[in-house]
Amino acid sequence: MTPNQDNPARDTPVPSAKTLEKELKQGWKSHQEGVRPSQVTEIEDEDGSGRLVMNFGPQHPATHGTLRSIFTLEGETIVEADVEIGFLHTGFEKLGENMTYQQWVTVSDRMNYLSAINNNVGYSVAVEQLLGIDVPPRCAALRVIMCELSRIADHILCVGLQGMDLGAFSVMLWAFEKRELVYDIIEAVCGARLTTSWTRVGGIMRDVPEFFPDLVYSFLDEFPPLIDEIHLMLLNNRIFVDRVTDIGVLTEDQARSWGISGPIGRASGLDADVRRDQPYLGYDQYDFKVPVQTEGDSFARYMQRMEEIEQSLEIIRQAMATLPSGPVVHDDFKTSLPTKDAVHNDMESLIHHFKLVMLGHGIKPSAGSSIYSATEAPCGELGFFIASDGSDTAYRLRIRPPSFYNYAIFPRLVEGGMISDAVAVLSSFHVIAGELDR
Amino acid sequence: MTPESMAVDMADTYSPCDALPAPLRSQVIDQIVHQGQLALHCTSADQRPMLEHFKTQQGYDFLVDVTAIDHLGMDRTERFEVVYVLRRTRENSHQFRLHVWLSEDSPNLPTVFDLWDSARWGERETHDMFGIVFDGNPDLRRLLMPEDYPGFPLLKDYPLRGMGERRQFPNVVPRGDQIVEEEPGDYPTSIGRGMHTPEYTEEVRRDSKPR
Repeated sequence: MTPNQDNPARDTPVPSAKTLEKELKQGWKSHQEGVRPSQVTEIEDEDGSGRLVMNFGPQHPATHGTLRSIFTLEGETIVEADVEIGFLHTGFEKLGENMTYQQWVTVSDRMNYLSAINNNVGYSVAVEQLLGIDVPPRCAALRVIMCELSRIADHILCVGLQGMDLGAFSVMLWAFEKRELVYDIIEAVCGARLTTSWTRVGGIMRDVPEFFPDLVYSFLDEFPPLIDEIHLMLLNNRIFVDRVTDIGVLTEDQARSWGISGPIGRASGLDADVRRDQPYLGYDQYDFKVPVQTEGDSFARYMQRMEEIEQSLEIIRQAMATLPSGPVVHDDFKTSLPTKDAVHNDMESLIHHFKLVMLGHGIKPSAGSSIYSATEAPCGELGFFIASDGSDTAYRLRIRPPSFYNYAIFPRLVEGGMISDAVAVLSSFHVIAGELDR
Repeated sequence: MTPESMAVDMADTYSPCDALPAPLRSQVIDQIVHQGQLALHCTSADQRPMLEHFKTQQGYDFLVDVTAIDHLGMDRTERFEVVYVLRRTRENSHQFRLHVWLSEDSPNLPTVFDLWDSARWGERETHDMFGIVFDGNPDLRRLLMPEDYPGFPLLKDYPLRGMGERRQFPNVVPRGDQIVEEEPGDYPTSIGRGMHTPEYTEEVRRDSKPR
C-alpha cells in the first residue's frame, strides 16, 4: 500500500465503502476461479470527498444491545450520524391488544430486562389506575422496595459498563458482584432472576418470604461501600475522567424539547421525577431528594446515577422501617387474582380465580375509558397509555419507553465528535434495546 | 422547580381549555375526565393552532408522547384518534391529553416537530405503525419496521400473525441425508384470545357490549 502523496497528513488512504465492496467481490471471484487475489496496490476515493461510511453495530460490543448507528467519517471525526432501530421489534403493543390484562404482565418483563420489576410495577399501576383501585399498603411498600432495588441494580450496571467501555474493566466486575445481592433478593421473592413477572393487577404474586428483611438489611450493609470504591477507582482514573468530561453535552432546553427523562434529563438540569411530581404507590410518604446536575455531559450522567443510588438506598431504609403488615392483594376479587393458598383451600376464591382466568371473563374496565399512567423507571419515564373498549383485553396499549425518546437525540450529540466519544456517550445513555424496540 | 411552586396544587377541576381563546375553545368537541386525568377532544383542523397555543401561551413545554388509536369497526364518526400527552415542567407538572380525531380518507396532520423535538420520533413511529402522515415532518422513514415493509402493523385490520411476510422465507429442514425447503406452516401461539381477523372486528368490536 503506497502512501497517499496528495495528502501528507494521512499516511494510509481511506477507502470508501463502495470501493471496499467492489474489492471484496473481485477477491471472491478470483478465489472461485482459483486465482490468488493480487495485492491491493491503491484504494482510490470514488467521490473524492475522503469520507467513509461506517456501521457501528448492530453487533458491536460497545452498543450493549442491538443498535445500529451509521456514521459518516472524515478521518476519525463523525460528520454525520444516523441511527436505525427496530432489530428487536416484537410487537408488544399488538400483543397487548390480544392478551388479557393479567397475561400481559409477562410481556412487560421483556422490555427493560435489566430492571424487569419496574416494568411489572409500571404496567400494574397503569391498569390499576384505569380501574380505579388502590393496592394494600403492604403491597405498595413492597413494590417500592423492589423497584428501588432494581433501580440500584440497573444504575450500578450502567456505571460498570460505562467504566468497562472506557477501559476500567474492574469497575464492571465489582459492580456485577454487588449487583448479585439484588438478584438474590429478587430470586427469593419471586423465584426468577431476569423475567420476574412479579406483580399482578391489584397486587403481587405472593407475599415475601420470612427472611426477606434479613436479605434486604444485609444488602443495605454490604452495598454502600461499593459507591465509594467506584468513585475512588473512576475519579482517580485520568483516562476515564478525561474521556467523559465535556463529551456529549446535552443542554437543559434540548432535554426538555426532546422529551428526555430520567437520569439523563436530570444530569442536564431538567428537574423532573415522576416519583416526586406525580406520586404513585405512596412515594410521597418517603423523604428523598431528587439530585440534579447542571453540566449535562457524560461525566454528569455518571455522577447523577451514583447520587440516585444513594437516594434509592435511603428510600429502601425508610420503607423497610415502616413496612406495614397485612394482605398484599387488593381485596376485590372481581379485579384481582386471589392468592394461591386461598384458591386451593377456599371455594369462593377458586370461583373468582376461574372467572378471572377464563377468557372473556377477566378484568373489564369501563368502555371508552383511557388513561396515561407514568412511573419512574431506571432509564426515565415509563408511560402506559391504555384505552379500553369494555372487553377483557386492552383496545390500545401504548408503551412510552424512556429509552425511545432518550435515544432520538443520540445522533445529534455525537456529530462533530470522534468515534471513541460516541462510545462514551452511548454507554452513559444506557439505552436498552428491548424497550427501545418493544 | 422549587418546593414553593410545587406546593401550588393544581385543583382537579383545572382545565387548560378554560384559558383557550374563545374561537378555539368553541372547537373543543369534548372534555373527558377519567380518574382525574383530563382529555380534550378536537378535530384535525384545530390540532395545530391548539398545540401552538398550549406550547407558547400556556407553557406545556414537554411533549410526553404521540400515539394513535385505530377505531376500525367501532361506532365512531372518524377512524383514527391521535393522542398527544402534554406536560409542564417549569412551574408545576400539570398534564393532560389532546385527542385529535382524524378521518380515514385523509389521514394527514400537520407536524409539530418545530414545537417539540420529541415529536420527531413520536410522529415517525405513529406513521410507521398506523400510516398516518404528518405533513412537514422531515424524516418519516420507517422506524421499527424494515424499510421495505408494506403494511402498518397496529391497524386493526392487520392480522396478529402478519400478512404472510414469513412466507418469503421458506423453512430449510434436514430430511435424512438431504436438506429440503418446506412451506412454512402455522406456528403455535399461546395467545388464547385468537386472531385479530376482520371478522373478529366485525363481530366483537361493533357492538361495544362486553362479551
